[in-house]
Amino acid sequence: MELSESVQKGFQMLADPRSFDSNAFTLLLRAAFQSLLDAQADEAVLDHPDLKHIDPVVLKHCHAAAATYILEAGKHRADKSTLSTYLEDCKFDRERIELFCTEYQNNKNSLEILLGSIGRSLPHITDVSWRLEYQIKNTDSPSYPEISFSCSMEQLQDLVGKLKDASKSLERATQL
Amino acid sequence: MLLELSEEHKEHLAFLPQVDSAGKLNVSSDTVQHGVEGLTYLLTESSKLMISELDFQDSVFVLGFSEELNKLLLQLYLDNRKEIRTILSELAPSLPSYHNLEWRLDVQLASRSLRQQIKPAVTIKLHLNQNGDHNTKVLQTDPATLLHLVQQLEQALEEMKTNHCRRVVRNIK
Repeated sequence: MELSESVQKGFQMLADPRSFDSNAFTLLLRAAFQSLLDAQADEAVLDHPDLKHIDPVVLKHCHAAAATYILEAGKHRADKSTLSTYLEDCKFDRERIELFCTEYQNNKNSLEILLGSIGRSLPHITDVSWRLEYQIKNTDSPSYPEISFSCSMEQLQDLVGKLKDASKSLERATQL
Repeated sequence: MLLELSEEHKEHLAFLPQVDSAGKLNVSSDTVQHGVEGLTYLLTESSKLMISELDFQDSVFVLGFSEELNKLLLQLYLDNRKEIRTILSELAPSLPSYHNLEWRLDVQLASRSLRQQIKPAVTIKLHLNQNGDHNTKVLQTDPATLLHLVQQLEQALEEMKTNHCRRVVRNIK
C-alpha cells in the first residue's frame, strides 16, 4: 500500500489527544466511513457540535487522510496486523488502534461491495421473456428495444441445452 | 380484385402520358419523382396481391390513359411481377433468428479498485442471423441469472408439449 505524506501527517494529527480528544476521534472516524459508504451522506458529515472546536482545515485534512487510507486498505484487503503496524507508525495509542480496527471490521463488507462494484463489464443479462408463436403468415412485427430473436423448437432446445451445459460446468467449478 | 388507387396516386400517375418517346422530360423533378413512385406503387401492390390480368387492366382503366399506355403497363406488370414478389419476400421484416450460442466461464480475480476477488460470470456469444447477415452479440450474466434463464426457457419448451399447443400445430396448416 502506497500512502502519501499527506495521509501520514493527517493520521499523526489524529493520533494526538491534544488535537483530537477521544470523542472527536471517534466522531471523525465514523464520519470518514460514512462519507464513503453512505449514499446519502452529505458534506455536513463533519458538522457535529463536538467537532466545532477543531480548526476546519485540520478537520478536513484528517477526514481526507482517513478516507484515503480506508479505501487503500479496502482495495488491498488489509488485515488487522497491517492496519495496526501502520497506525503504530503514526503514533496511535493502543486504544485508538483498537477503535480504528473495530470500525474497519464493522464496515469491511460494505466497503468491499462498494469497491467491487466499480469497473466496466459487458452488457449483463438480467432476465428473459419468451413467447410461443405459431407463424401462419408473415405480418409486420413491432420493433423491440432489447435483444430479440426467434427460434424454432430445435433451436430453442439447442439454446437451452447449451445454457444447461454452462450451468453444469458452473456447478462443477464450485465444487472444486 | 381491383387495386384501389387513391386520388394522390392517380395524380402522380397522371404525368405518365406526358412522357414523350424521346424521353426528354420538361417538368419539375418533383413531378418525375412522384411519377416514378406512383408507378412503383402500382407495380408492387399489384405484384404483392398477385392480381389477375383483367383486374390489373380494370384498375388502370380508371386512370384514363390511352389504350397503348394501358397495354404497356400491363406488359410491364406481367414481365416483372415474379421478380418483384421475390424481392418483396426478402424485405419482409423479421426478427433475427438464433444460430448458435457459445459460452465461457470467467472468474474475476481482481480489478483496479479491489484485489483478491472471486466473482464468477458466464460470458455468452450469441450468434444470430438476419436476412442472410450473420451477427454476434457478446453478453454476460451471473450464475443465479443463468439458472433463472434455463428455468424460464425450459418452461417454454414444456409449454410446447401441452395439449393446447399440440392441437394448434396439428390443425392449422
